[in-house]
Amino acid sequence: MRNAALSFARTALACVAALGVTGAASAQTLKAVKDRGVLNCGVSTGLPGFSNPDDKGVWSGIDVDLCRAVAAAVFNDAGKVKYVPLNAEDRFKALQSGTIDVLSRNSTWTMSRESEFNVAFTGVNYYDGQGFMVRKALKKDSALDLDNSKVCVQSGTTTQLNLGDYFRTNNMKYQEMAFPDAAATLKAYDSGQCDVFTSDVSQLYAERLGLSAPNDHVILPDVISKEPLGPAVKQGDSQWLEIVKWAHFAMLNAEELGVTSKNVDEALKSTKPDVKRLVGTEGAYGEQIGLTKDWAARIIRLVGNYGESYERNVGTGSKLGIPRGLNHLWSEGGIQYAPPIR
Amino acid sequence: MIKFRRLIWMPILAAAFAVLPISHGFTQSEDMNIGDEPGLVPDESVQLPPQFQRQMVLYRTTEPPGTIIVHTNERFLYLVQGNGRAIRYGVRVGREGFQWQGLLKITRKAEWPDWTPPPEMIKRQPYLPRFMAGGPGNPLGARAMYLGTTVYRIHGTNQPQTIGHAVSSGCFGMVNADIMDLYDRVPVGTKVVVKQRPSV
Repeated sequence: MRNAALSFARTALACVAALGVTGAASAQTLKAVKDRGVLNCGVSTGLPGFSNPDDKGVWSGIDVDLCRAVAAAVFNDAGKVKYVPLNAEDRFKALQSGTIDVLSRNSTWTMSRESEFNVAFTGVNYYDGQGFMVRKALKKDSALDLDNSKVCVQSGTTTQLNLGDYFRTNNMKYQEMAFPDAAATLKAYDSGQCDVFTSDVSQLYAERLGLSAPNDHVILPDVISKEPLGPAVKQGDSQWLEIVKWAHFAMLNAEELGVTSKNVDEALKSTKPDVKRLVGTEGAYGEQIGLTKDWAARIIRLVGNYGESYERNVGTGSKLGIPRGLNHLWSEGGIQYAPPIR
Repeated sequence: MIKFRRLIWMPILAAAFAVLPISHGFTQSEDMNIGDEPGLVPDESVQLPPQFQRQMVLYRTTEPPGTIIVHTNERFLYLVQGNGRAIRYGVRVGREGFQWQGLLKITRKAEWPDWTPPPEMIKRQPYLPRFMAGGPGNPLGARAMYLGTTVYRIHGTNQPQTIGHAVSSGCFGMVNADIMDLYDRVPVGTKVVVKQRPSV
């Protein structure tokens, strides 16, 4: 019995060793990025708040910040990013072919996307989900209050299916007004054909800006579906997966610990153990994933913490003005949660 | 339990104020250089920027419905509604060195409160009146809710443009329409949790 256990352990050890070799052989992305001198980042073709170029071609957004964070960690220069605009159809192929190193393009993390496209999502940098917009004058503040309303929705979408499920589950009646494209759906709502407009919450805030009187409409707090948006990498390079994953976690941990782009130098002198581990004055956490000790300090200095990025791109500092909601830290009313650096 | 927490917390707060100013940066808006303007009657028709307008938002918390939670760093005050939601109001907060955190209860409520700036405030700003009767030009605005036995209050304002900024001596200011809305929703005894960004 003992011998059997021992031989099993030996086999296991051999396997681990073999895996180690394979891991090293496939840990090519970081080296390739360094040799190239620039990170190739797949983004949308233009979605304000997430990834959007200005008239000078400068990209910004919460998804763009993720790529800037990875570049900051690798190069100590958040500008060393080449943005590759991709449509929905091409995005995962671009990862597979190696055209991009990371995909940061408002993409929903689902099981089939990981298995079919051979990619791995690294985290959730924006918890989206379906919500409702109504006219302020109706004085509704809950989706459960929408019984007997007329709802505008885009046809042939999961949004339409979720809508049906939600009303059925909550024993509410509604009249559906379905339109083939997003613009027509919004127009119908704006012209008063419906009481309610439904889409993903981030979309609702963007689409409200296009209404004839944006201030006359409110977005209800309810989120009725799960649309976790996050960056993805190609499967098979665990080191690169760690780098992209922890770039996001570093930004979340920084917010939780009160470290910002403005006080990061103060944080470097901190005596608090968790702050020291984050900024690299204690331990060698960055080095263990192929980066430098100060990897997270670089990210925070050059890009900011998660809250700074959120507010600048989609929150109070942006036209969208989306309340933090689910994207608050877990300790502040939301579900954004990063494992600790230790 | 609550009593005990207050007992241990208050001397710490007092000590912090006596010894060193608590310093914290801001993410949202830079400090606005504006003093109190007693006597100024606000234009109540001016709308707040959209993000600071009163709205129902998703907010998950273990605090019971009816609790007030202030996120100083965000310039928002949340009134917990339960079922994962809260009413969010835009507030102005203490300027750098005048921010604090902890748990207090509303001990008193007043409509169109008189204003007696506390001695420490007079010392810093000697030009302030020693007393001002309640009314539209009063810096405390239409309503005030007094927090514990401290000098801090949640109150209205005659300076709506200061909402979203760090300008006060540690009080939380709201536009009069909002403070009147909040005032009608919360009784004396309401729990007020004040959070600020942790220091590094």
